[in-house]
Amino acid sequence: MNLKRGGGRIGRLQYWTGEYALRGVAVVTAIVLVVLFYYPVGTVLANGLFGSVEGTNPVLAVLGSEFYLGAASGLTDPSAVPGGVLDWMRAGFPAVDFGLVGFTVYQALLSTLASLALGLPGASLLAHYDFPGRETVRSLTMLPFVLPSIMVAIGFVAMFGDQGVLNSFLGWLGLESVSVMYTLQLVVLAHAFYNAPLVTRIVGAAWAGLDRSKIETARGLGAGPIRAFVDVTLPQLGPAILAGALLTFLFTFMSFPIVLALGGLELATVEVWLYARVQQLELAQAAGLAVVETVITLSLTYAALRYESGQRGLGRGPNRKPLIGSLRDPRRLGLLAYGLVVGIVFLGPILSMVVESLTGPGGPTLEHYAFLLERQATGASYQVKPLPAIRNSLMFGLAALGIAVPMGVTVAVLEDSRIPGSRLLGTLLMAPLAVSGIVLGLGLLQGLVFGTELFGHRITVTGPVAIVAAHAVAAYPFVTRTVSPMLQQVDHRLVETARVLGASRGRARFDVELPLVLPGIVAGAALAYAISVGEFDSTIILAEGSSSYTMPVAVERYLGNRTLGPATAMGTVLLGVTAISFVVIDRVGGWWEP
Amino acid sequence: MKRRTFVKRVGAAGIAGLAGCAGPDADSRGTTTGTSGGTDELAGTLRVATYEPFVDAPSVSPGAWIKEAFESAYPDATIEWQTPNSGLNHFIQQAQYDDEIEADVYVGLNADDLVRADDELGETELFEPLSADTLSNGDSLIEELRFDPAGRAVPFDTGYISLVYDAGEIDEPQTFADLIEPAFEDTLLLQNAQTSDPGRAFLLWTIANRGEANFLDYWQALMDNGARIAGDWNAAYTAYSNAERPAVVSYSTDQVYAHRNDVDMQRHQIAFLDDQGYAVPEGMARFADAAKPELATAFLDFMLEPRTQSEIAVRNVAFPATTTADPPESFTEYAHRPPETVTHTYDQLAGSIDDWVSAWAEQIASG
Repeated sequence: MNLKRGGGRIGRLQYWTGEYALRGVAVVTAIVLVVLFYYPVGTVLANGLFGSVEGTNPVLAVLGSEFYLGAASGLTDPSAVPGGVLDWMRAGFPAVDFGLVGFTVYQALLSTLASLALGLPGASLLAHYDFPGRETVRSLTMLPFVLPSIMVAIGFVAMFGDQGVLNSFLGWLGLESVSVMYTLQLVVLAHAFYNAPLVTRIVGAAWAGLDRSKIETARGLGAGPIRAFVDVTLPQLGPAILAGALLTFLFTFMSFPIVLALGGLELATVEVWLYARVQQLELAQAAGLAVVETVITLSLTYAALRYESGQRGLGRGPNRKPLIGSLRDPRRLGLLAYGLVVGIVFLGPILSMVVESLTGPGGPTLEHYAFLLERQATGASYQVKPLPAIRNSLMFGLAALGIAVPMGVTVAVLEDSRIPGSRLLGTLLMAPLAVSGIVLGLGLLQGLVFGTELFGHRITVTGPVAIVAAHAVAAYPFVTRTVSPMLQQVDHRLVETARVLGASRGRARFDVELPLVLPGIVAGAALAYAISVGEFDSTIILAEGSSSYTMPVAVERYLGNRTLGPATAMGTVLLGVTAISFVVIDRVGGWWEP
Repeated sequence: MKRRTFVKRVGAAGIAGLAGCAGPDADSRGTTTGTSGGTDELAGTLRVATYEPFVDAPSVSPGAWIKEAFESAYPDATIEWQTPNSGLNHFIQQAQYDDEIEADVYVGLNADDLVRADDELGETELFEPLSADTLSNGDSLIEELRFDPAGRAVPFDTGYISLVYDAGEIDEPQTFADLIEPAFEDTLLLQNAQTSDPGRAFLLWTIANRGEANFLDYWQALMDNGARIAGDWNAAYTAYSNAERPAVVSYSTDQVYAHRNDVDMQRHQIAFLDDQGYAVPEGMARFADAAKPELATAFLDFMLEPRTQSEIAVRNVAFPATTTADPPESFTEYAHRPPETVTHTYDQLAGSIDDWVSAWAEQIASG
């Protein structure tokens, strides 16, 4: 089918690239990527590929290590494999251990399933039901994304700990308490907290653009609602679900602060290990592990892009029914149960943080907010103040959004063009998603912050401009992933009709194609903004002196010995400021919707 | 690493374009330190690098007081605090990547930091050795806290790792052996020795207590008894505060905080296992390439003055490093000293610590 469409696709690329603006954006995209991504990450990976750990190649050292790969580590010596398999059979097929990497994959799979299970009903809810504040709820789905992991960990302990709110509630109901602290379940739940909203958002945007007429046709031809869902709706949502699952898998595969804070070292992931190696400055070892990690995440990205093929036809989405109504509808009962789960998993930890910010050793207090005011009024130049943090976060977020949206859309168009090698290129352009924050941070430090000697000059890149560029690089793939599936669904006949009727290329795109993919662009823009606001690692690495800190940096800095108060107060400010800005972004995007 | 000193000198002479051509390495330090020019040696900006809570934590941070007191003692000098995110690693890497080190003094070194720096930098000296008589207050240092055989790092305070437990929940754990008994099942919270200072100190303590050959077995028993390892001190202590577990690895100064906040002392009992506490002295040192070496030395001396030492004890909630300090009663009454202190020397750590920590981490992560 792709082959048949091939000619048209190439035609479309010419049609897109016919515009200089697009070319310009592409060139800028390339420059920013090379300077702030490929060069720094490349230096780290090259260190892994060509460096040495005690006389061995770092990558081979990882691949041959039973600790990292368990049973699979034997694969570096193919001649030993048959014997190893025989031994395993003789031992009576014991459970095979795939080491740290294997555990990381397992953990990420569970986290992805949990995120889908929690996120998809939300997408369906937003697509099918109308209720007061629906738009606001949709805007706020991104909120968990910006919360610093340390706050989430604090909230989760308060909510799900053995002495937590959930257990008090269960005790009050006369039910047995649950003990999930320091278990895989809690880590998976926390990962779902971060990623289910992402699934909701990406799938929700696709659902809103679903071709309703096809479902109606199927129903008209006698298909039951389930049949119509499986045969018509699901295939149309497929690319978006896959995109959400891919992002979740990548994030949870590369997760580290949540694992450290909630799981403990027993549940260590590859990224936890990488972080420890970097802290010990065992950089060659870290680089070897980074290469293995990046190969896994990049091939996954490639595979997902390969299967993220779109279906044609963009419509107006399902008719929305009012949510408030008779409870005799079993679906409404299901939604009620879902609402309860959302309340516990999402609102619980967030509310715990807010409550913590209003509580002192002696009961309710505003002293933590008073601390913020006092720090603002009297803080020294080397201390972090709240207002500059808020201002920087908002400015960096907007600037990153302004760069990431054109970049992301450009890459989506390129992916859609299906020129030979475009998938490989697409994978490379999606690499910022697939490269861990620690690897990028290490590369930025080595390649840019400490500087590179070039023609006798030391080139260093730091400061606000670098931070914004780094945020944009981290964020644009989200724009691409939300726009690309929709772009693939655009009915080309509409564009062609417009052209036949005399519209210029730009005109046809602006009037026909843009409105059709706008929900995706808005969803992507909000994501890009959220990435920027929540970003911590490269911000703190690239921040020059103390002038470029953001809200999450302030949260971390306000964590004191034995007091969470000021940090949770700053976390609550972060929550409020970003909540307002998400609503604004969605509303502004909504005005442009036809 | 030899190239770095070369590049810096050549660069200063304005012919940095030739930096790639290696030249004979000469120790440039003698020339840079002695020639601070015609300006007053005790004037100007002193760049002091430290870890960020030292200047920016809401609860305790001595930074602001130190800056103010030092600047009034040296009216022509200004302290500029620097808090790079990666701490000492920032400067080790700057040295590795031929970047100029933009600090004069580092405050907050541990013995294992120093081992790592020396391990990474080989011949290059990141810090300047200070001869014994350089600091006029050097005589008052508590000798057993000195941890740098090369005399670069000068201790300025020390903490003692101990257990903090809730006496309302459990009996006092008195020995390491107690912790692996059923009575203490599911009671203990620890920190990751790869990434957390107290976590690492506790690991080193078990090695000192159980011996290099047996500590991994001990840890297996500890984990089998339901001990849990959090990422860092904050996470572990937060969980402890939320009554998730009744015992946590922390510092023996815990009650100083508890007293300040009028918290139930039952919940802040200190346990010294086997009557020991693991000493973690914190040191400070002058960078070899310090632009203001005399001012830096004056600062180190100032940090050891009795008044400063007393203030650091209160504001950093750690024991003074000198015999002349006289912290107020609010500190001395609640800060507990272990009957016996344990620690590893620089030489014991050098060459071993990486292997110990790696073996430990692999065992824990492999479950």
